[in-house]
Amino acid sequence: MSCYSPESKPDWKAYILRELNPDASYQAEIHLTHCSDCREELGTLRLTLDSLSLLREEEVPRRIAFVSDKVFEPRWWQLFFHPTFAAACLVAIAILVHGFLRPGQAQVDAAVTKAVSQVEARHTKEMQVMFEQLDLQDKQIRNFYLSNAAIYR
Amino acid sequence: MIFREVEDPDLIAKARRGDVEAYNLLVSRWEKRVFNYLLRLVSNREDAMDVSQEVFLKAYQSLRKLEDSARFSGWLFRIAHNEAFSLLRRKRPETELAGEPRPPETGARLLPLELSLTVETALNRLSPDQREAVLLKVYQGFKFEEMAEILECPVSTVKSRLYTALDLLRTTLAPVHNLRGES
Repeated sequence: MSCYSPESKPDWKAYILRELNPDASYQAEIHLTHCSDCREELGTLRLTLDSLSLLREEEVPRRIAFVSDKVFEPRWWQLFFHPTFAAACLVAIAILVHGFLRPGQAQVDAAVTKAVSQVEARHTKEMQVMFEQLDLQDKQIRNFYLSNAAIYR
Repeated sequence: MIFREVEDPDLIAKARRGDVEAYNLLVSRWEKRVFNYLLRLVSNREDAMDVSQEVFLKAYQSLRKLEDSARFSGWLFRIAHNEAFSLLRRKRPETELAGEPRPPETGARLLPLELSLTVETALNRLSPDQREAVLLKVYQGFKFEEMAEILECPVSTVKSRLYTALDLLRTTLAPVHNLRGES
């Protein structure tokens, strides 16, 4: 069977160039099963595209490359977005903030003196308690010997 | 996927920030396609090389104007199209016809290089517009809509140029079909 109605004839060029939607492609393939003219047309189109594929792809004679000249250098404000530059800025800011927030030497000395005096006061009190306990024990031992001596006498 | 190939949009973003190496990588990915497209269009290796260089330079300079980096290929070929036709207009009048093709000798078995030359001659017989439509569709694989954007014309015009070109090529390349059929 052949194609008699141009309206019903699928667009074979669009078909072979993969420009038909899946439904239209399916309809075209059904049409192909009973239309010898269309099969022939599609076959010729395939041969044409196969022949076109014989064209050799040429290598580029020399590589296209750009060097970092003035045209391609980023603008000054774009440097702020460069990761290395941004990291360096952060470190600098951190050092500055630390410098401003750090207490002065006099404040540090006062805090150390206060802490030392607190420790010394605690130690003095502990030593005082310890001496009182030793005195008490000494008195108890002396009383013990005195009482024993009175018994033997 | 942990490791993925750097995509074109990543390279475009880096190039926009002034990373020349990222742009060089992008160029290395596209230079062969652009060069071959231009070579078939202007039919001269030196011209194709010079225009390729110009295309990539212009693309870099106007990279910030590219709104959708996913559509880089169409945008790049549009620049290439403009540059190529600008050269063609400067070099020769619109009416000048390309050289007549040399049909393969009947009965001779053609070597791959000769077959390639025959196809090249057949393409050169087309008008620049028709040839470009074939190059963009058959060799670069663009869709009709993308071609219409590159060529700045309606889809119907794209189809008309391409279909006419295919009809002409069908006739011109018939001897190649026959020879290939015999072999």
